[in-house]
Amino acid sequence: MTDHTRRRLLGGIAAASLWSGMGFPVVRAQETLKVGVIHMGAISNTGWEYYQAEAWRALQAKYPNQVEVTVLENVADIQSVERQFRQLAVQGHKLLFGTTFSQYASLRKLAPQLPQSHFECCAGIEAGRNLGVFEARHYEGAYLTGIAAGRMTKSGVLGWVGAFPVPQVIYSLNAFLLGAQSVNPDVVLKLVWVNAWVDPAKERDAVSTLVSQGADVISGSPNTPVQSEAARSAGVWSIGNTGDFSEFVQETQLASFELDWSPAHIEATQAVLDGNWEPVGRWRGIGDGGFIRMATRSPALPASVNTELDAAEAAIIAGELKPFAGPIRDQSGKERVAPGTELSDGDINSMTWLVEGVQGRVPT
Amino acid sequence: MTELLALMLAAVVAGTPLLYAALGELITERSGILNLGVEGMMVIGAIAGFAAVYVTGNLWLGVLAAGLSGGVLALAFGVLAISLRVNHVAAGLALTIFGISLGAYVGKPLVGQSLSLTEAQLSGGLTNVPLVGPLFSAVHPLIWLSWLLFAGLWFFTTRTRAGLVLRAVGESTTSADAIGYPVMRIQYLATGFGGVMAGIAGVFISVVYTSIWTEGIIAGRGWIAVALVIFATWRPGRCLVGAYLFGGMTIAELLGQVMDLGIPTEFLSATPYLATVIVLVLISRKDSTMRLSVPASLGKSLDIKG
Repeated sequence: MTDHTRRRLLGGIAAASLWSGMGFPVVRAQETLKVGVIHMGAISNTGWEYYQAEAWRALQAKYPNQVEVTVLENVADIQSVERQFRQLAVQGHKLLFGTTFSQYASLRKLAPQLPQSHFECCAGIEAGRNLGVFEARHYEGAYLTGIAAGRMTKSGVLGWVGAFPVPQVIYSLNAFLLGAQSVNPDVVLKLVWVNAWVDPAKERDAVSTLVSQGADVISGSPNTPVQSEAARSAGVWSIGNTGDFSEFVQETQLASFELDWSPAHIEATQAVLDGNWEPVGRWRGIGDGGFIRMATRSPALPASVNTELDAAEAAIIAGELKPFAGPIRDQSGKERVAPGTELSDGDINSMTWLVEGVQGRVPT
Repeated sequence: MTELLALMLAAVVAGTPLLYAALGELITERSGILNLGVEGMMVIGAIAGFAAVYVTGNLWLGVLAAGLSGGVLALAFGVLAISLRVNHVAAGLALTIFGISLGAYVGKPLVGQSLSLTEAQLSGGLTNVPLVGPLFSAVHPLIWLSWLLFAGLWFFTTRTRAGLVLRAVGESTTSADAIGYPVMRIQYLATGFGGVMAGIAGVFISVVYTSIWTEGIIAGRGWIAVALVIFATWRPGRCLVGAYLFGGMTIAELLGQVMDLGIPTEFLSATPYLATVIVLVLISRKDSTMRLSVPASLGKSLDIKG
């Protein structure tokens, strides 16, 4: 990870010196800054694209006169993504936002080729030449909601619907169970992979299967209203993971957290306006300027659990509580994190093992 | 015991959309028309039915809207494949792409919307009917309907003169034409029926199964239905068994994970296709089984005057 940081830093310096050397005009605050955003899917009122859209909406609200945002949606295939980013850059958009990991590889290639614009990619892996990245520490939200799950489960069995075994999904479910075990050490988590990013019918079946095997709190990633709805109709609790689905299922959703990318958009835009933008990586959880926001809690939660959640949230923000602090064992009982130590960002971001108490496996 | 029953019911529910779509495609293919647009027609049926239920709260209007829209789309395919004699495969693939995109476009305002239906509404009011009500709360009316349709279609294809005519057309359009059957009209009817069934399969998924609209809701089930027709060697009885077998695979895949049976899930996901390939190999081994199973004119453009 130190290596990454150094590379990132060097990249940043290189890009910065390239700038000043080539003498590009600095964008002055009084002229309108054109910002471009490309969505992979359709903007809807829930889910990933919704939170991406909330970010540029926040940008429009904050800079009504200085910033003009161009938004393209449903740009699904890679060729179109590259063509559209190029076109936006040529049309004078000085700041371009990628909205998904799928665009990251394209942007890594494009950003150095289009130095007249700056690039930022959500869920990108590391900053590169002329390319900043930002991603949320999903596991902080997952850990906190896990506390609610651990307190409310009667069977001691939680259920998780996973799309594909990528590190973001794995660290989220691990943190969710660790949060639950922090208040209820005997809790286990049953894990099901649906092997599809989108298949609502199969997600529904997955929830029913988990419930039939004793799970009484359901979450998943990517979490969808379908899962929450299926949990509700099966008579069990759900947890909103990167989405608040309380409007669909009311109080049967125990707790939830949402994504908030507006700080990333606003900071990058302000930097471009000030003429001091640099490609950096931002990886943030809850707290001021963070990318995660704890959302609706169920009125069914007792006051004691609410107090506990507030305290844990404050402790995470203050840096006193680290979800991946040792001792943590994996499924085989092997110690993965020693007492008194914690996982590094690099280790979290490349996690492929499951914590003790997860019933299920990572397909190899 | 109750667990096994629940498992079987889950397999039936998962298999029902496959059954609708495959029975429809079976009739279409029996007339010699190969419509690969099942996925597209299911998407259109899913959104049309969902929108109708979203607005009216009435399941049956949703089924009507889904069936009609699937049928209209199938007839559009019919114009291409039957009247204009476009290659069936190309026209069918185009229909799938068109259906998926149109469904996504039309459904945009409804993405993430859910139907909060009461149990009575979800059953189309049938759970409120005295005496038989409990039957419909245990097993959804559309599942009953699929059994009814299955019985009807089995009887139609094997025991009626009209069914024999349909099969005759599929075996040889030229011979059927020569003895005076209205080949094109029969093919249009069969294609339209396939569309109606695919539409109902779609609305079953979007309204009964998930009660929520998102893009990609059909997730390849149309293709499984096409495979299922081959698996069933164009016979309704095997279609029924196959639909529940394929539906059961999904459930087994999930349950196998939760119970940690150590079965690779990717393998189970691939099973329907694998089973179809095996059936294809088995029936292609001998000319006689091939002739007995596959409608001889399947996928061939008409060679008669329209």
